[in-house]
Amino acid sequence: MPGFFKNKHKKSNTTNENQTQPPSEQDFPDSIDVRLSNNLDVIKNKTGNSFDVIIRNVSIGLQPKIQTAIVYIDGLVDSQSIKDFLIESIIKSPDLQEKLIQQDPLEVIEDEALPFGSIRNAHDWVQLFSALMDGETIILVDGKTKVLVVDTRGGDRRSIEEPTSQVTVRGPRDGFTESIITNTSLVRRRIKSPNLWVEARKLGKVTNTDVAIMYINGIANEKIVEEVRRRIDQIDVDSVLESGYIEQFIEDQTFTSFPTLYHTERPDTVSGNLLEGRIAIFVDGTPFVLIAPAVFIQFFQAVEDYYARFDIATALRFLRILIFSISIIAPAAYIAATTFHQEMIPTQLLIAVAAQREAVPFPAFVEALIMEVTFEILREAGIRMPRAVGSAISIVGALVIGQAAVQAGIVSPAMTIVVAMTAIASFATPSFAMAISARLVRFVFMIAAATFGFYGIILGIIMLTIHLSGLRSFGVPYMTPMAPFILKENADTFFRLPWWALKRRPQLISEGNMIRVGKDQKPEPPIGRGMLKFTEEKGDQDE
Amino acid sequence: MNRGIVLLLLFSVLILLSGCWSKKELTDIAIISAFGIDKNDKGQYVGTIQVINPGNVTGGQQDGGSSIGPPINVYTETGNNLTEVSRKFSTGISRRLYYAHTNLVVVGERLAREDGILRLFDAMDRDPEFRITSEVIIAQDMEAKDIVRTITPIDKIPSNKVIKTLKSTEKNWGTHLRANMKDVLNNLVSDGKEPLITGFRIKGEIDQAMKMANIEETTPKAVLEAEGIALFRNGKLVDWLQGSTARGSLWILDKIEKTDVNINWQEHEEAIAYEVIRQKTKVLPKIYNEEPLITIDVSAEGDIGEVEIPVDLTDPLVLVKIEKEVEKEIKKEIQEAIKQAQKNKSDVFGFGEVVQRADPKLWKKLKSDWNSVYFPELVVDVKVDAFVRRTGIRTKSFLTEIEENRK
Repeated sequence: MPGFFKNKHKKSNTTNENQTQPPSEQDFPDSIDVRLSNNLDVIKNKTGNSFDVIIRNVSIGLQPKIQTAIVYIDGLVDSQSIKDFLIESIIKSPDLQEKLIQQDPLEVIEDEALPFGSIRNAHDWVQLFSALMDGETIILVDGKTKVLVVDTRGGDRRSIEEPTSQVTVRGPRDGFTESIITNTSLVRRRIKSPNLWVEARKLGKVTNTDVAIMYINGIANEKIVEEVRRRIDQIDVDSVLESGYIEQFIEDQTFTSFPTLYHTERPDTVSGNLLEGRIAIFVDGTPFVLIAPAVFIQFFQAVEDYYARFDIATALRFLRILIFSISIIAPAAYIAATTFHQEMIPTQLLIAVAAQREAVPFPAFVEALIMEVTFEILREAGIRMPRAVGSAISIVGALVIGQAAVQAGIVSPAMTIVVAMTAIASFATPSFAMAISARLVRFVFMIAAATFGFYGIILGIIMLTIHLSGLRSFGVPYMTPMAPFILKENADTFFRLPWWALKRRPQLISEGNMIRVGKDQKPEPPIGRGMLKFTEEKGDQDE
Repeated sequence: MNRGIVLLLLFSVLILLSGCWSKKELTDIAIISAFGIDKNDKGQYVGTIQVINPGNVTGGQQDGGSSIGPPINVYTETGNNLTEVSRKFSTGISRRLYYAHTNLVVVGERLAREDGILRLFDAMDRDPEFRITSEVIIAQDMEAKDIVRTITPIDKIPSNKVIKTLKSTEKNWGTHLRANMKDVLNNLVSDGKEPLITGFRIKGEIDQAMKMANIEETTPKAVLEAEGIALFRNGKLVDWLQGSTARGSLWILDKIEKTDVNINWQEHEEAIAYEVIRQKTKVLPKIYNEEPLITIDVSAEGDIGEVEIPVDLTDPLVLVKIEKEVEKEIKKEIQEAIKQAQKNKSDVFGFGEVVQRADPKLWKKLKSDWNSVYFPELVVDVKVDAFVRRTGIRTKSFLTEIEENRK
C-alpha cells in the first residue's frame, strides 16, 4: 500500500459534548416539595401549561380537608376509568374520608380506594414525569413528598388488523399495531411458555420510547442475546420513532445494501423466529418488529412456506431465488447480449430484436436506463401519492411505458418486456427489504454489463458473492448455512423438508435446546387392512 | 474514509477509462446470414454476402402492414483472398460485418472443380466470429452468387430456407446430407475419407431469383432446390451423385432415417412402396492375406406405404417376398453408389478409415496408394436385411376387395 492510503487523521476524542442531552433536565427541583401548590406550579411550568395536561384539584377527608390533585394527560389515559373509579372512589366514599385523617392518606388511597391493577409510589420529579408521559395518573397530596402513580394507560389506538406488507393466503390474519403491549401480547398468545422472556428498555432521550427485547430462554443463544443487549444499551439518540432507527444503530455493517436485520409485522413470523432461537426487538409506536440475527436465505422464506406442504413450499422457494436473480440481472443480461454477445442469441430472435431496435435512437444501455428509471419513478409515485389519484398513475404508466414509448420508437418492445419482467420479479420477492436492495444492485449490474458485457456480469456476481459471504448479522455469517456450509440445515433453505424432518434448530443461531421434532414422526398409514375391514363391516351392518 | 474515497476513484477509473470495450450496438452491425465464394476469370475470389435486413424480415410491426423491401441485401466484392474480400465490403456497407450468424457457406461449382475447396476454409476456421458449424453447400452448375441472392418465400431468410430444406430432406428422403464446415474439414484432413457436400441449384428462371416479384406469386419463378451430392477427390469436385445413387451413399454412411423404396411386383413396375422407418448400417472390415475386404450390413425396418395392385398382405409368404424385393432394391442402390465412387477414385465412405482401424499396420502400407489403386479395386460385399414391421392401418387393400368381388 502506498503511503497516502494510510489514514493520518486523528480521530477526535468523543467528549461529553457529543452525547445527547434531554433538554433542561438539570432544571428539575431537587425533590418533591411538601406544599402541593408549589408542586403543581412545577408541573405547570415544566409542561408549559399545555392544554392536554389536566390538573384536577380535589379536597378529601372531613375537617380538616386535605388538598390533593390528580394529574394526567388527556388522550393518553383511559378517561372512562379515571372518571368512574379514580375520582369517584376518592371523593365519594364516606368511610374513606374518616380514615384519611387518622392515617397516612397516601397509604389509604393506595390500599383501599383505588380499584386499579398497578399502583406505585414515586419520589422524584424524573419518575413523576416519566410516568405522566406514559399515560399514568399522578395523585399528589398536600404535605407529602411522594406521589402515587396509577396505571391508567389507555386512550385511542388502532385495532388489530391484517398486515398489509406481508400477506398470506393461508395463515393467521392478525398483525402488529403501534402499541408495544398489544404486540408483545400477540406473541405471548402464541408461545404460552414462562420461558418467553421480555426485557424492557427506554430509548431516546426526548421520546423515551419503550423498547422490548423478546427471546425464549433456553432456546436463544445467550451470547447473541447479550450482544443485542449491549448494542441496544449503547444507543444514545434523542428519538426513536420507528424500529428503523434502532436497526441502523445495531446492524453489523452500514455500507451494504442488504438488510442484516429482518423486520415483520406478523406475529406468527416473530413466533416462528423466536422458536428458531432468534431475538425480537419491539418498538413502541410501530407495527414493525425487528428480528436478529437475520441470514440471507431468511428473506426468501415466506411464513406461508411453513403452512403449505413441503413440495409446494420447496417449489416456491426455488421460484423466489429465480425471481431474485431475474430482478438483479435481467436488464443487465439484455444489455450484455444485445451490445456485446450477439452471437449468443439465436438468429431468429436476434433478427426480431434487431428489427425492433432499428429505429431506437439510443444505445441499449441508455434505453435500459431510461426504462428502469421511468419505472422506478412510477413505482415511487404509486407508493407516495394519495390513494384517490391511484388510477391516474396506472393509466399514465401503461400509456407512457407500454404504448407511447414503443410507438414513438424511443424504446424497443423487447426492452419493455425485460423491464416489465424485472418489475414483476421485484414485486414477487417476499421481503420488501430484499427487493429494494435488489433494485439498487440491479443498476450496478447494468453498468457492469454495459462496460464489460457478460464478463462484467460475472465479475459482478463474484463480487456480490464475496460481499454477501463477508456480511455478519450479530456475528452469525450472513450466508449460513450455504457459507459456511452446514448440510443438515439446508433442510430449510432452498428446500423446505416436511415438518417431521426439520428435527433441529439452526445451530449457529440457537443454543441449548436444539431438538424441535421428536423421533419417528413421519406419518404412515396403519399396517394391514384393519381400517378397511372396519368400514366394510360397518357398511354391511348398515345394509 | 480518505482511503475509501481514493479506492472508489480508482475503481471508477477502471470502469470509465475502459469504456464500453468491444461494444457493438445492434444498429451498428450487419448480420450476415450466408457467404458465397466464386472465382472470376482472372482467378480472383468473388465473395458474396447475404446481409439480413431485420426490419423487412419481421414485417415491421411499427410501420404496420407487410414488409416493403427485400428481407436480405446482397453485396459482392473481389479480392485475392477471402480476408481481403471481407475487408473490401466496407467500401459499400455502412455497418460492421458480423459473421457470427453466418450459417451457410456456398461454394461455386467452377471454383470447387478448378481450385478445390482446400484453401477456402482457413480464413473461416481462423476467424473467432465465424461459426465452424456453418453448413456448406455447392452451387451446382452455377455461381454461388446466384444461390446467395435468391429470395425465398415462407422462410424469409434464404440461408434458413436452405438449411431447413437440407434437414428435412436428409431426414425424410435421404438423397442429400448435411455437412457443416467441421465435418468437411475433418474429412479433408482424414487420410481414408473424402467429403460429400450437397449441391443446390435454382430451378426456374435464374434472372427472376433476386427479385421481390419472385415471392409475390403462388408459384415462385425460381426455387432453391437440393440437387445431387458432390463427390470430391483431393479436395476437388470430380462428380455428382444423383438420385438413388446419392441415397445409396447415405445408406452406407448410416445416415438414412426415413425414406421410401419402391419395388416391382410381378409385371407391375414400382407398384409397392416400402417406407423405411429405421435402419442400422454397419461397415465391417475383413483382412484376407493383406487384402482388405469390406462388408456392408444393412438392417432396415419399415412399413408398407402403398400398394397399387391387389396384394394379399395377410399372407406371411407375400411379406417375405416383399422383403426380398426391398433388399434387392436397396442393395442395388448401394452397389451403384460404390461403383461410382470407385470409378472416381474417391473414398467418400471412409472405407480407408475402417481398414485403418482394423489393421493399422496394413493401412500404413496401403495408405499412399489407397485412392489410386486399392480403393477402386476394393471388394465390397453388401448384405441387406429388410423387415416389414407393419402394413399401415389396412391389411387388405380395397383393391383386393374389388378383385375378390369380381371373382
